[in-house]
Amino acid sequence: MNHYGYKDLKPGMKMSFDAVLDEEKLNMFRIITGDVNPLHNDRQYAESKGYRDRVVFGMLSASLMSTLAGVYLPGEKSLIQSVESKFIKPVILGDVITVTGEITDMNDTVQRIELKVTMMNDKGEKVLKGKMQVLVNG
Amino acid sequence: MTREEVFERLTEVFRNVFDDDSIELLETTTSKDIEDWDSFEHINLIVAVEKEFSIKIPMGKVTTMKDVGEMADIILQESVSS
Repeated sequence: MNHYGYKDLKPGMKMSFDAVLDEEKLNMFRIITGDVNPLHNDRQYAESKGYRDRVVFGMLSASLMSTLAGVYLPGEKSLIQSVESKFIKPVILGDVITVTGEITDMNDTVQRIELKVTMMNDKGEKVLKGKMQVLVNG
Repeated sequence: MTREEVFERLTEVFRNVFDDDSIELLETTTSKDIEDWDSFEHINLIVAVEKEFSIKIPMGKVTTMKDVGEMADIILQESVSS
C-alpha cells in the first residue's frame, strides 16, 4: 500500500495495477448484492446472448476504483468523495483488467485530487472510463 | 467586482452545487437554510467558488465562515489580493 500525502502528489502522476475478476469474485459479488441476473451468473445464458462466458458485473469492475485510490493513489490517506464510471465494453469472466489512474486536478484548499480512470482488458480494449474525487487526509 | 455581482455569481454556484434552481442567497444564509449543505457538500462548494472566482480561499477560513455574507467578504478580499 502507498502512503502518499497531499504534498507528495502532482498533476500527471499515474499508477496502474492488474486484477483478474474470476469466478469466486463474481459469486461473492452476487452474494453481497443479491444481483442474480443470469448474464452474470449463468454461463449458458451468457453464451446464448453472444458472450464467450459470464459477463462481469459492471459495478464489480468499477469497485476496482476503490482499490486504485485506497491502495495505490494516494493509498492509505485516501477518502473517496465521488466516483463516475462509464462501461464501454463488457468484461468477461477471467479477463485481466489493467486499472490506471492519473491525477488531472488538485485543490490545495480542501486537499482533494481528481483522478481520470481507465480500465483496459488484456486485448488492449478500453472497458471502463471514469473519474474520481479523492480527499487526501494528510 | 461589486458585492451584488458576487452574490449573483455565488447564487449560480450554489444552484449548481446543490442542483436546486430555487436557491436565493441572503447575507445571512447559512448551512441550516440549505438542506443538503453538509460538510461533504461544503468541500464541493469551496472548490466551485474557487473556480468561479479564480481565487484561493485561505484554509483557516474554510471551516470558520459563518454565513454567505462572510463568504462574499472573503471572495472580495481574495479577488483584490490575487
